[in-house]
Amino acid sequence: MKVLVIHAHPDDQSFSHTLLAATVDGLQRGGHDTTVIDLCAIDYPGALSADEWRAYESDSPVSDPIVAEHIALVREAEALVFVYPTWWSSVPAVMKAWLERTMVKGLAFDLDPRTRAIVPGLTHIRHLIGVTTYGSPWWYVKLVNDNGRRTITRTLRLSTGGKASTTWLALYALDGLHESDRSNFVEHVRATMKDLS
Amino acid sequence: MKVLVVYAHPDSASFNHAVLDEVLAGLQSARHEVRVRDLYAEGFEPRLSREEKRAHLSPPESKPQLAEHFADLRWCDALVLVHPTWWGAQPAMLKGWIDRVWARGVAWELPDGAKRLKPILHNVRRIVTFTTHGSPWRINALQGVPGRRIANRSLRVICHPLCRTRWIAMYGIDASTPDQRARHLRRVRRVASRL
Repeated sequence: MKVLVIHAHPDDQSFSHTLLAATVDGLQRGGHDTTVIDLCAIDYPGALSADEWRAYESDSPVSDPIVAEHIALVREAEALVFVYPTWWSSVPAVMKAWLERTMVKGLAFDLDPRTRAIVPGLTHIRHLIGVTTYGSPWWYVKLVNDNGRRTITRTLRLSTGGKASTTWLALYALDGLHESDRSNFVEHVRATMKDLS
Repeated sequence: MKVLVVYAHPDSASFNHAVLDEVLAGLQSARHEVRVRDLYAEGFEPRLSREEKRAHLSPPESKPQLAEHFADLRWCDALVLVHPTWWGAQPAMLKGWIDRVWARGVAWELPDGAKRLKPILHNVRRIVTFTTHGSPWRINALQGVPGRRIANRSLRVICHPLCRTRWIAMYGIDASTPDQRARHLRRVRRVASRL
């Protein structure tokens, strides 16, 4: 299966990078054709620009070649894996910017020419997967509603026509954990990715 | 009341900018003391850098590049957010303002051995969002409205224990008529003037 992994963490010594490595390793062991977009490593912009916003509803919404490249990768992919730390209950700004810039008309959705209704464009995506860490304990994450998870497993999933299966791999209360909790989670991520089908 | 207005839209000819104008007019008519942060206009950097991430637990004094934003956030009694809702939530530009400015020593502390953040942004007693959604309300309901929960829950719990929240939204803006938009702008001004 063709899998596209999107990662966002500014520190290459971070635990998030360990999770990225385990994700990729697991996918490769499972024989999956894996591509990684590491947003901070490529100095990806943190926001949609004014020109991009004005072009958003036009027929040519893409001006940046890196966005065109990422759109081609999403078109080919059958699974999208998002690896990131949860900040303020959601994805880091740079990952939100990636969604805003990549998931444009013609890729994520189209407008029916007659009714102007939204037609899902990611119907080829079979899996949406999140791998994330939370500073807070599980109950607190549920209380503030786990908005990164919602963005991916609900908002983005609608663009798959509601067809994609979703998998959420999460480590809670990160700061208070033992080294063994972390390494168990890394192995859990690796094994889940390997068994993806 | 001291009101901090944080605005995130890249185009000054947008409907969201018209919403901002009405918010400011409404606040002015009620004689509130207002500070405005137009994140795009000031070229705010929404990405938390490696250095800032590593300084996650350092005191605010160690981040002079954010000193003015820290001061604004500590100063206000009410936080007003004006932005379009994209992919169910705040634009990355505004999320980046939250990621960077709601920092240790400003918004929260993490006492030794604590399992979660201790809220300290007790000066904020109101969070009011003025936003627009491209799609109709039912689509947003299906999407789970993550943006609303980021503001009204995730940010809210860091503020004053009795902090009140409001979400003033126009849905289905893509298919709206000039009349509907004008009506929404009147509502925005009314709400802002009664804050």
